[in-house]
Amino acid sequence: MTVFKFSLKRSFSNKTNLLLLTLFPIAFIFFPEGEYWPVLPYGYQYFGIVLLFISIRLTTIILVDRAKGVVKRLAVAPISYGSYLCQNLLAFSVILVMQCAIVVYGGVLLGVELYQPHWLMLLYVSFSFTSLAIALAWISIFRSKESAFLIYMSLVTLLAILGGLLMPLQIFPEALIRIAVLFPTYWLNQGMSWIASEGSVGDFILINGVLWLYTIIFMILGSTRKIH
Amino acid sequence: MRVLSTVKFTLLRMLRNFIVLLLLLIVPIVLISLFSLILSGAVTDTGEPYLKQPAVSLVLCFQLFGGSTVMYMIHSELFTEHRARMQMLPISLTMYAFSIMLCGVVYSVMLGVILMTFTQFVLGLIWEHWLWTIYLITLMAILSSVVYLVFMFAVKVYKTAERLSEVYGIGFILLAGLFFPMPDHAFFRFMGSYGNPLTLSTIAIHEMSMNNTSKAWFAANILLAATIILFLVMMVVGRRRFMRDRV
Repeated sequence: MTVFKFSLKRSFSNKTNLLLLTLFPIAFIFFPEGEYWPVLPYGYQYFGIVLLFISIRLTTIILVDRAKGVVKRLAVAPISYGSYLCQNLLAFSVILVMQCAIVVYGGVLLGVELYQPHWLMLLYVSFSFTSLAIALAWISIFRSKESAFLIYMSLVTLLAILGGLLMPLQIFPEALIRIAVLFPTYWLNQGMSWIASEGSVGDFILINGVLWLYTIIFMILGSTRKIH
Repeated sequence: MRVLSTVKFTLLRMLRNFIVLLLLLIVPIVLISLFSLILSGAVTDTGEPYLKQPAVSLVLCFQLFGGSTVMYMIHSELFTEHRARMQMLPISLTMYAFSIMLCGVVYSVMLGVILMTFTQFVLGLIWEHWLWTIYLITLMAILSSVVYLVFMFAVKVYKTAERLSEVYGIGFILLAGLFFPMPDHAFFRFMGSYGNPLTLSTIAIHEMSMNNTSKAWFAANILLAATIILFLVMMVVGRRRFMRDRV
């Protein structure tokens, strides 16, 4: 588990990252509640965007490795690429799950109205894996850290709007609502409204299933080894 | 005025940076088109389209980030990569720095005007006071490049200055309450009205469209005063930094 350990250390060694990974989620607990929309407080509504953002920051480690030729060196080292990738992803997902736990259970401790915190935790964990997979697939087509990050952030904004995270879906025209189904953010949004409205468990499993489907697809796309 | 011969190349270098074009031009165009699709011609009680407010905010929001090109260019030209080369040239470095700043502001304003033209001619949103809006866009662009430069001069590590500039941009958007309503507290009320360049310029544009000329000028003049004060600060900090880095 050497790669895992160093991946964790590298994620926290950067000062900006340290701030992002610790204070950022805590700040989100204190965001106010909306009047009619969103159903959960604003911090929880926007937390999906934070997950997307943090995943790309974490996965750039793999991009940097590729750019610096570490992947090339690993190819001749007695460690398979699969194990390198898995250990890295494990480290990232540990960090992301910890953040979800901080936000959800921190909110519970402070008495924020979260309806069903355990289900919300499950939804966030599913979505953090999805966002990790998307980020992994995204960085596999870039060579420069900066451009990958900046273009991804503009894409995230679009994803967030079209999925209904930044604006209520009800005001969208019919065609856009249909298209919204394609985006993982839409399913996160659906999950959050499920949590507030207490639907059947089957619906919730479907929502998580779609998120996991996205995770698998993007993980396959992003897991190919590329040596420049 | 030998500096003038460099202006052409400065502008060309700025125009060729495709990431900046993507982030400050393509993204807002896509966003505003999306908003117009979503709001699809809805009008408020007073007959003003709902799109107007987001369009004004969007055009001004992206001016908050316009200073990044200036910060990057001045950093590489006068402090790191090309510093020694520039000091060899028979031009006044102060004038050169000003020319870079001016180019950055012109470039940023140009992007804003393209965005305005796009919303007027493609999305059919009428901007009543073009000159007044362009004046405010210019003020915002100057303010953002001045603030970015102050960050760059005052902080030792360039990365930290970059992060600070992001905090400046995103922070004021948050404080303006564009993402969610801010808590009702004296500090947030101030930062959501007269302590925030974004809301100041929005107020100025809004009041002008309501024909409240005096209120509009009041808001714009606060912005102008802040810009002038920060400009002086920037001059002092910048000179000090330039002398300190002398080898």
